[in-house]
Amino acid sequence: MRQFFYPSALAVFGVSSAPGNLAKNIVHNCLEMGFEGKIYPVGKNPGTVFGREIITEPMTLPDGIDLAVILVPSSSVATTLETCGLKGIRHVIVSTAGFSEFKETDNQEENDLLKMAEQYRIRIIGPNCVGTINTGSGLCTPFNPINTQNFKKGPVSLITQSGGIANQAAHYFSEEHIGFAKIISAGNKLDINELDLIEYLMEDEDTEQIHLYLESIDHGDKLIRLAKRSSKPIVMFKSNVSRTALEVAKSHTAALSNNDRVVEGALKQAGIIRVRSLHEMTVCAKALRLPPLKGNRLVAISLSGGFSVIMGDACEAFGFVCPKLPASLIRKAESFRRGGVIRMSNPMDFGDIHSIEVLMDILEQCLALDDIDGIALSFMYGPEIAKMLGKEIARPEKLLERFQSISHAAGKPMGISFISERQYIEQLKASNIYPVFNDPPESIQALSMLRNYTSRKTN
Amino acid sequence: MKIIDEAINRGQTVLSEFESKKLLAQYHIPVTREILVESRESLRDAIEAIGYPIVLKGCSPDIAHKTEKGLIRVDIRNEDEALVAFKEITAGMKGSGNAVLVQEMVRGKRELVAGLTRDPQFGPCVMFGLGGIFTEVLNDVCFRVAPLEEFDALEMMREIKGHKILGAVRGMEAVDMTLLADILVAIGKIGMENEKIAEIDINPLIITGNKPVAVDALIVLGSSRA
Repeated sequence: MRQFFYPSALAVFGVSSAPGNLAKNIVHNCLEMGFEGKIYPVGKNPGTVFGREIITEPMTLPDGIDLAVILVPSSSVATTLETCGLKGIRHVIVSTAGFSEFKETDNQEENDLLKMAEQYRIRIIGPNCVGTINTGSGLCTPFNPINTQNFKKGPVSLITQSGGIANQAAHYFSEEHIGFAKIISAGNKLDINELDLIEYLMEDEDTEQIHLYLESIDHGDKLIRLAKRSSKPIVMFKSNVSRTALEVAKSHTAALSNNDRVVEGALKQAGIIRVRSLHEMTVCAKALRLPPLKGNRLVAISLSGGFSVIMGDACEAFGFVCPKLPASLIRKAESFRRGGVIRMSNPMDFGDIHSIEVLMDILEQCLALDDIDGIALSFMYGPEIAKMLGKEIARPEKLLERFQSISHAAGKPMGISFISERQYIEQLKASNIYPVFNDPPESIQALSMLRNYTSRKTN
Repeated sequence: MKIIDEAINRGQTVLSEFESKKLLAQYHIPVTREILVESRESLRDAIEAIGYPIVLKGCSPDIAHKTEKGLIRVDIRNEDEALVAFKEITAGMKGSGNAVLVQEMVRGKRELVAGLTRDPQFGPCVMFGLGGIFTEVLNDVCFRVAPLEEFDALEMMREIKGHKILGAVRGMEAVDMTLLADILVAIGKIGMENEKIAEIDINPLIITGNKPVAVDALIVLGSSRA
């Protein structure tokens, strides 16, 4: 499996110097992303791409190539695979489409591929995929032009069937400052499927979280067993769930079962966190970087009365309770009020207290309470406020470092969002010191994902 | 299993209520006490064994929707009522035999549903939820993939919207969750061990006192798709 991510030499089949040629983008993407292995473009016609001569006689390829990407017409894929076999290439990404996704019955072409792969003991990712992107090696096999400059290395790896999702996730994860380790587009999963890839990622040093985007699950029972023994969190965005599973059902049970419901139960059972969009995937990825949330009792604090009410609603919607805080703690907080015009409770409106030290102290005290499992905090922040509150938090990193140390010392999570201009929220997110969510409800949703994961894993 | 093989040999695609419950009972799922009779004479013996009040139901693998077809009489309290009901039910069965099930009358306001289906992606799946005649209308059910652990079964009970019905409500006892969990785990086991069972419905699963009892059941046969 390693060769799919860290090849020492890569052959790309289907390259030409013609302007519309797609396979040459693969060469370009790898070069742009800093892939250091050797790259051999292979094509029918002589020419040069990115300073590399196109090899027209594949049998003249050197030995020691450990990965090939094939993007030739579907009718020629099997013979190209045979060439790979003869050259000792045992790992192949078949990007070409036009197999079972296009023609569901009579997949002679797929059968031919499988036969050839078996004969030469070749492992295949695809067909109908864009292959792998690895920030650890600079390998980037999508055949579409892709701007790799903004890719950010991170702890999340994603397995997806769709190439479009692979592309978008690479950008989205990077832009949300989570980054990614490996993204794999598995296409039709003719040979290597999500189970093989999950197993690999479970052992992969760069991967701390395994995310999946799947339209179909082939071996649900095996997936559940595998997920149960994974020490890394698994997150799934399962689409294609609207179709009623059984058209001819004789029992209530069969009539009431649909894909979405069964998926819901199965994923819970497996301890897989279910998300319903790419955005939720990033929210969940951030949540999983927080200390575990061992219960459903939160303190919600905002510097805005409005947001503290919204947070109260969100807490209830996501199954949290906001316990009454000890009178001594409330009295202490109230003693620092400026106007003395806001009554303190939980959710707590902190708008009347203008001291960063008091806030930090209250956060520490709340997290120290036995009947509190975590905090949701909506804080107002910007350069002017930073000046007002003191220079120790003048820079966004400093503020987040304080939050981080309080949270880590208590071993309890804080779901943090900011009331601020977008540019300053962006700065806070970019510092990537402690997760920052877009708004208070999102921070509470994130905490709910974390709670559900923690409770399943500690059962 | 013998019950399944015999039914298949007779060309059945479903098990009758009586056969279905016999199979469930082999997996220690509590079912109503009941005796299958085909004549007035055996009806009397059966009533003596079960004791009033009783329920009479037309019983045949060919008959679905017994309630709609008027083939169920409940709360029968004496022999006259029983004989009239027996006559009407056998007349209503129109060629689907004349087997009538004499069943204890189970009292309980809480009606649940439990069952099994086979999902193309996950294989045998157990369902649990609110049951009775409004099962589809209430649509308050959840699923887990077999085999189930007790934890899964208990989680299902918390997951349905109407989960509070299982607690101590309106003077009723809290349901014995362990017994209920055992039933769900057992349904999963049936699914794992019997490829020829395609679907199971236990509806209603009535809570009497604090204990669940399968009052009606249907097992659909068919080749396993998953």
